Parts: sequence; structure tokens; C-alpha cells
Amino acid sequence: MKFRGKIVDVACLNHFTRVVTTISKLTKMCVLRLTPDNLFFVLSEKVANGGVSMWCELSQANFFDEYQMEGVSPEDNEICLEVTPENLSRALKTVQSAKSVKVKLTKKHCPCLTIAAELPTLSSTSRVVTHDVPVDVIPRRLWHEFREPSVPDFDVSIYLPPLKTMKNVVDRMKNLSNFLVIEANLNGEMNLKIETDLVSVTTHFKDLGNPPWGDDASQGGGPSQSRDQDSMAEARVDVRRLQQFLMGQQVNPSKAMCNIVHQRVLHLILLHEDVSLQYFIPAVA
Amino acid sequence: MNCVLDGNCVKAFGKAIHALSRVGDELWLDPTVKGLALRSVNSAHSAYACFLFAPMFFHQYNLGSALEQGSETIKCKLVMKSVLPLFRCLTSIERNVKQCEISIGTPCDRVMIRFFCRHGITKTHSVSFQESEALQAVFASHLCPNVLKAPARLLCDMVRHFPVSQEEITLSMSPLKVSLRNYFEGAKDHLKTMYTEMSLHPDEFDYFQVGVDSGITFCLKELRGLLAFAESHCLPVSVHSGAAGRPVCFSVEDMVVEATVVLATLIDSESRGPSQPTETLAPPTPRCVDAAALPVGYCDAHSNIPHDTAAGTELVASSQGSPIINSALMQLLPQTDIPNELCVPDEACHSASTTPASTTICSLLFRALSSDQDDPGLPVLAGYSDGEENMEDDDYPRSPQL
Repeated sequence: MKFRGKIVDVACLNHFTRVVTTISKLTKMCVLRLTPDNLFFVLSEKVANGGVSMWCELSQANFFDEYQMEGVSPEDNEICLEVTPENLSRALKTVQSAKSVKVKLTKKHCPCLTIAAELPTLSSTSRVVTHDVPVDVIPRRLWHEFREPSVPDFDVSIYLPPLKTMKNVVDRMKNLSNFLVIEANLNGEMNLKIETDLVSVTTHFKDLGNPPWGDDASQGGGPSQSRDQDSMAEARVDVRRLQQFLMGQQVNPSKAMCNIVHQRVLHLILLHEDVSLQYFIPAVA
Repeated sequence: MNCVLDGNCVKAFGKAIHALSRVGDELWLDPTVKGLALRSVNSAHSAYACFLFAPMFFHQYNLGSALEQGSETIKCKLVMKSVLPLFRCLTSIERNVKQCEISIGTPCDRVMIRFFCRHGITKTHSVSFQESEALQAVFASHLCPNVLKAPARLLCDMVRHFPVSQEEITLSMSPLKVSLRNYFEGAKDHLKTMYTEMSLHPDEFDYFQVGVDSGITFCLKELRGLLAFAESHCLPVSVHSGAAGRPVCFSVEDMVVEATVVLATLIDSESRGPSQPTETLAPPTPRCVDAAALPVGYCDAHSNIPHDTAAGTELVASSQGSPIINSALMQLLPQTDIPNELCVPDEACHSASTTPASTTICSLLFRALSSDQDDPGLPVLAGYSDGEENMEDDDYPRSPQL
């Protein structure tokens, strides 16, 4: 197993760092899957037990100037590593001014992802800083747990309001209740509701727009066809999970949307030019 | 004692207090003829910091009537928690405070800090103090084999790569390069600990002298304050060190202020020379966390033998019964016969005074100043694994090795 990548462009390094930082805010540990074309940050807690799952896909060509990898075997040309994204994020954050950053899979006292940065200095020689981030190699037999999740048979798909606004609302609601109901319909309306013995609060968003899934939506018979435009699909979720997702976002995505499977799962999708992030929050009764 | 600082200087003063707060919980104020010294030491006595502001730094500096009476000026020990909040927000101090007056008055046991702010507002803070003997460190930097001098920027940049929570780092020096690595003792949790290493070329330093290849491990936290201070004043930082186990001294000086931080280093018998590959990450055998206990100081004008510490040591019986701060931070050089130039006469405390701006002498006398020698015994600085101050122990002082 070998992996060696090099980032030279400052903007790419910056973007990559921000992605890793976002991931680090969402989870303490996750799996990094490396394939010849992509990098994936995957988290899959047991959804049945109320765990969230996350899937973040990056196209390597958009970040790395050089990228070479050799997977476990020619048929399974992939590498799966368990890593603490916060370590990666810390290492990357300190080398933002580097001339080049190499990320390599190495074996030091344990398998590591080594981040070696070449920093500019006043003298002729450059300074090299290395950070060794320990990782755990995931054996092939467990790889099935980290497959790309399929888009669920959602009932409603809707664009999210500006994340900052949503975050503010959710932050306030968190003080009042542990659970929040998110509901939306195909008319571009979304409500965030909490209800306790003493008080119930609802925030309404209008004119959000619904993403046209088109032919892809044929799974559920096409929500746009068979569904009443005003009927709301809802999911009651743990407000802290939602808040954690919103808190971590560092950059405004080009597209942010969510799919709601009525009383089952909330599927949040953020799209950038070169990164996509999906986050699944299960609904609770 | 009474002194007045102008607006710009208050910020520098505040920065010094911030730096000192990173070291210890108590702040010693020692007004002397050479200037106002602010000092702090951590509870384990493995770190000491001193900021000496020359009289020129102040708009006005009066030692007050104490001088006229011939007695020594009052030295006070303040609780850092009561002083730090006054200087917490430096940006607002910079904007609002026009002048700051500090006075120590004998009649009431209080230090008065008065801020004259804009719009005619005056804020007066009265902080109580304990009268205490001053505390200084003995450190013969001119005896250090390794001397580095670098712009603060460089050191700050290097240190920035380590997370704020990083406790200790190892600085390795050889004639070819200088490297910094973080230090972990024990294999706590492999998956969590990230190892960082970087190296610097001798060319990057303003002054580079490596007499002894060494790798010293010291606590980074206590140093950050000084580096921040140095960077804000764009001053170069000098690093004096020796082999592992010897204390390391970081100092900064300019016309009006001299700052020093002395840190104890770990005694590490492993030959983890700087040329070793980074693969040697096998955790070192755990050893006494608290490093070379700052060896008990002595100042015996007659003795040249470093180990003879018993007789003639200046001990401090603090006038108010405060703990005897007697730890002396000193270079013990058993193998050489360098005459002990650390001995200084009793009264004259060559505290970080008018040291020439070279790397030669930066001797700080680390002992309590007193002419009383009530206590013949020698308190021992015990190993600080539990952080207790072992003040009352009369045993023969242990050498740094366990």
C-alpha cells in the first residue's frame, strides 16, 4: 500500500484544509478512503441506533498536483484508513504558507499519514516541517461498511435556507428542547419546530425552491408527480446533531439541500465545485 | 515606591504580565535602583521568568522614602489572579489609558494601580500583597556551551506548529542543524498523538554556537508568553543551553526592558541526537517528569566545588514567614573547574541588570535576598513529580539526577 500526494497551489491547500476542518467539527474519528480518483471521508455510525452517517467526496485532481497510490491489491485498488480528522486539520492549518505540502502514507511507530511541508524562509534553504498523524488501516473485510450511501427514497427534497440563518435559529431552539422537527413540502416551504410542555416555537421559511431531481427521482415514483405540493414531510431529529452539522460549515456551499424521508431520516447535502458532503441524521420517534 | 507609565508603555507592561502569568500564579514586584523587576516562578520551580523595566521606561520612577532611610525597598508578592485582569484587555488599554501609576505604600499592605483614562476617568485598583523576599535565579549563561540568537519571528513561527496544548518539546542542536520536536512520555494513545518535527539551518540564526550536541526537553507553555512579548517588540531572542538536564535560558533585551525565562529541562539519558531519524518515536522510558529540579543554589564566595552546597548559603528567612524561596537555578558543572563566578556578594544582587547586550553575562542570582542567615540547613528542591514545595526539608540538596 502506498500513497503519495503533493499540493502546491495555495488556494488548493486552503480549500483542502477547510474541508478537513469541517470534517473534524463533525466527528472525532472517521474513515479516509483513497481511490485513484477520489478521496472520501466516511463516517457510519449505526443508523439504527440513532447514529449519524457522513459521506464526503473530494475529487483528487482538484487539490493535488501529484497523486500516486497503490491500493491493497490490483483488484482492490483502494486504501482505507481510520484517522482523527482533527489531527489532520491541525497539521494542515499550521502550514498554510508552505511552498508545497506532501501527504504520504508512512510507517513510523505505527502507520501514519505524514504531512511534510516545505516552508519558505529568509535564507536559501527551506524549512521542512513534518507532522505524523497516526492512522489505523482498515482491513478489506470491513470495507463494505464504508460504501457510498444511496440516496434514500425521499418524500420531499428542498433547498436549505442560508446556513447561517438556519444555524442561528437552531442554536436558539437548542436551548428550549432536545428535539426539533424539520418539515418541508414541494412548494418550497420549510418549518423548524420545537414543542415542549411550556412552549412551542416554529420558524417558517418560504420560497426556498425544490431541487429538480428529474429522472433520478424515479425511485420513489417521482415525488414531484405523485405528491401533493403542500403536504409536509417531516423528521424529528436530535437538535444537537443538526447543530453540530451547521456549526462545522466553514464556507458557504454552492448548493445546500436536504431530503426528508417522512419520519425516517434527514439527508443533508452540501455541494461545492469540487467537494460534496452528505450527512444523514436519523429521525427519532 | 512610586512610578508612572505613559500610555504606550502600559501595553508593554501588560504584555509582560501576560507572559508572567503563563509561568506562575504569583507575581513578585521588586523595585530596585536598576528598575522595576517583575518575576514569577511556577509551583514546581521548573520555570522562572523575570521582566526588568529600567527606570528609563517609566515616565517617573521613584523608589521613595525607603531609599532615604537606607533600608531596602519593599518587595511584594501579589496573586497573579488579582493583577492579570487589570491588564487583560490590551487593546482597550491601548485605546483608553493615558497613564498608569503604580505605587507601593508601606502603611497599608497594598499596591495601588491607577489608570488615568480618557474622558477624565480614573480607575484605581488596590491590590493587597504579601511582603516577601525577592526571588531570582542564578544562571550563568556565559558558561553555556550552546548559544542561539534568532529573531522572535523565527521562534514564534517554529513554535506555532505545535498545538497550544503541547506541553513539552525537545530542542536538539548540532553544528549542522537545529530541530524541534514534540515530546510525549509514555505511549498513551497511539492513535491520538500526532508527532511534529521541524528543523532549522544554522544560517537562519543571528548567532549560532553549538558547543555540545544536545537534545533538551522543556515545557513550551511557559515560554510562549515571552515569545509573544518578544515578537510584539520585534526583539531577537537569545537561547542559552547546555546538555540535557541543564536549565535553558531564553532572554530578550532592549534599552528599557530585559526579559528572561529560565526553564528546567528533562534529564534524558537517551542519546537522541538531532541526527537521529524521526523514526525513533519509541517513547522514552518514563522518567521524572519534572526535569532537572532546579538545583539548590548556593553562593559561597570561597568554594569552587559545585557540590559543596551546604555551608555559607544564603538562605532566606522571609520577614513575614512566607515560604522560603531558596531554589537556586544554577549551572552545575561537575566536570570542569571553571571558577564559580556565580558567587556574588550578599547585597548586590546582580539581577538581570545592566548586562551587556552580548551573550556573555546574564547572571541572574536566583535566591532570596536577605542578609539574615537564620536557617543553616538547606531546603531541598525535591523532585516535583507531585508539585509539592519541599521547603522545610533540611537534607543535603540532591543533585539533579535522580
